[in-house]
Amino acid sequence: MADLSVEQFQKLSQHIYQKLGLYFDDKKIYFLKTRVARRMAALGLDKAQDYLFLVAYADPEGQEMQALANLITTNETYMFREYDQLQAFANHCLPEVLSAKQARGEKRLRIWSAGCSSGEEAYTLAMILQEVFPQAQSWDCEIVATDIDENMLAKVRAGRYGQRSVNDVPDEYKDKYLTGNGEEYVVRKRTAALVQPVHLNLHDRMAMRAMRGFDFIFCRNVLIYFDDLSRKSVVDQFYAALNPGGYIFLGHSESVGRVTTAFKLKRFENHLVYRKE
Amino acid sequence: MTSLTECIEKLGCLDETERAYAAEDLGYLNVPEAVPHLLERLPRESSMAVREAIFQALTRMDGEPAIEGSVHLLNSDDPQIRNQAVVVLRGKVPRSIPFLNAVMRDGNKDLRKLVLDALGGVQTDDAREIYTAALSDPDQNVVITAVENLGRIRAKEFRTRIEGLLQADSHPMLTGACLEALVGIGEASSLDAIRRILPDLEALPDFLLAACLKAIGALGTAREFAEVGNLLLVRGHHLRPAMLNALKAIYSRCPSAGPDKKLLSALRALIENGDPPLCRYQAVQTLGLWADHEDVSAFLVSCLSSGERLVRLAAAESLCRTEQPGLKSVLAARAFDESDEEVLQALGC
Repeated sequence: MADLSVEQFQKLSQHIYQKLGLYFDDKKIYFLKTRVARRMAALGLDKAQDYLFLVAYADPEGQEMQALANLITTNETYMFREYDQLQAFANHCLPEVLSAKQARGEKRLRIWSAGCSSGEEAYTLAMILQEVFPQAQSWDCEIVATDIDENMLAKVRAGRYGQRSVNDVPDEYKDKYLTGNGEEYVVRKRTAALVQPVHLNLHDRMAMRAMRGFDFIFCRNVLIYFDDLSRKSVVDQFYAALNPGGYIFLGHSESVGRVTTAFKLKRFENHLVYRKE
Repeated sequence: MTSLTECIEKLGCLDETERAYAAEDLGYLNVPEAVPHLLERLPRESSMAVREAIFQALTRMDGEPAIEGSVHLLNSDDPQIRNQAVVVLRGKVPRSIPFLNAVMRDGNKDLRKLVLDALGGVQTDDAREIYTAALSDPDQNVVITAVENLGRIRAKEFRTRIEGLLQADSHPMLTGACLEALVGIGEASSLDAIRRILPDLEALPDFLLAACLKAIGALGTAREFAEVGNLLLVRGHHLRPAMLNALKAIYSRCPSAGPDKKLLSALRALIENGDPPLCRYQAVQTLGLWADHEDVSAFLVSCLSSGERLVRLAAAESLCRTEQPGLKSVLAARAFDESDEEVLQALGC
């Protein structure tokens, strides 16, 4: 295995943070080491030092960083993933936005799950919304779930999930919002009706400009696969798509502040969230 | 597609989103006529989102006017504009180099420093002239930035110039930068130049010792191994990670560098005391270099019961590399009590 020294680990994790916005703390040294070893074997490199140099200074197109990103990120998606972030949404951001709307006499709430894959995140948000805000049914609430892949959108429409997808759903939510036999679960109609699957390529800037008036945008663990310029461009589009006072959520370890300075950082207890002023 | 005139007009409109879209569209239109309008808008623009869109537009534009315009922005009083201009210019290397070269010749010390920031870690032979000038620059800050860049890009052709900058009376920041750069360049012969001005490790102040340990780790020999081992006993806790890195790095090149009893017991003490987990991880790994020694391997086996996960991980990694008879069954037995997936993986389970 690659003998990545502690100093090299720290340099690499700093570089990964700058490039992908993913944070690896000290506990992740073995994880990163094993992934780097795989990349070094694939490239025929013996020294970790040479790999670090390649990634930092000899990878202008970002191909190696992309290959590493594929190993250090997971495509796995499941309901209630990154629970802490969802708690910040449910306990702080959502009530704040809802009460501001109520004060203005508005009854419309729009959430965007961007790069929604098979829809677990969108349905998680639908469950939280119904739980935190039982009046949701009498409001014009919509969770727009977009993805570039039509096959994924078909899965969103079907709303059928295996055990792995629902493992982290709290039991009381399972009973309320899903029906199932222990092996397969189906999202109940009332919850499913909140989610609108829409085909969208995040790189299509004209289509992106049509996405306006959202109160929340979730785009978690998607932008890490984009190059710097595209990532910045997409986040700028998200900024335009949000209503003032709206919130953006990238992945738990991704940093909005690293991509753009347009959003304002806000703290709720232990959570840091980004808001459009 | 929106026309040039329309975009320019929208760049001044009240709606923030419209202005950002106008800037973005100008970037995609990619025509030189758009550049003055973007540059003119920038200092008056209060929205960070629109500013960012303007810089992205400049990044997207291919022509020389976008480079010239960005070079001009280096003179801005606004630090955000200067920094973003550096990022734009960095993305345009090597085409921006003739323009940066001109600034290097005629600009003040702050501009010359920004030129080097704009070169960053980009590998390019075309920048030789800039670096040659920068290493003789009257401003220390410019020299230091040049040295840092050259180390990052492993510029072997500048090694002797950098070694020459290492003088007993050099500014400590410059000495530190030279040490780091020589590590990056990685020529063993640089060690002589380093030791000429830094002969006594024990007497070095912390700041220089940390940089020197990196250099010694990268270039040092068995002689330096013993010196660093002694430092572990006498210098502060905060330098331990640097010392342990150096010991491991030297050993990987000079496996004959053996530990003495004092070093082994210092490492054991470090693992057992309350140092930060990552430092203990390093200490276990360093001790693991001699895991073939019976007493060391016995200690490492005991580390598998540590409450600190990183200590168990390093012990498992070290022990799995040894060929000691009977060890496999010991490790297999330990695996029964282990629940951490990564430790189990390191144990080979």
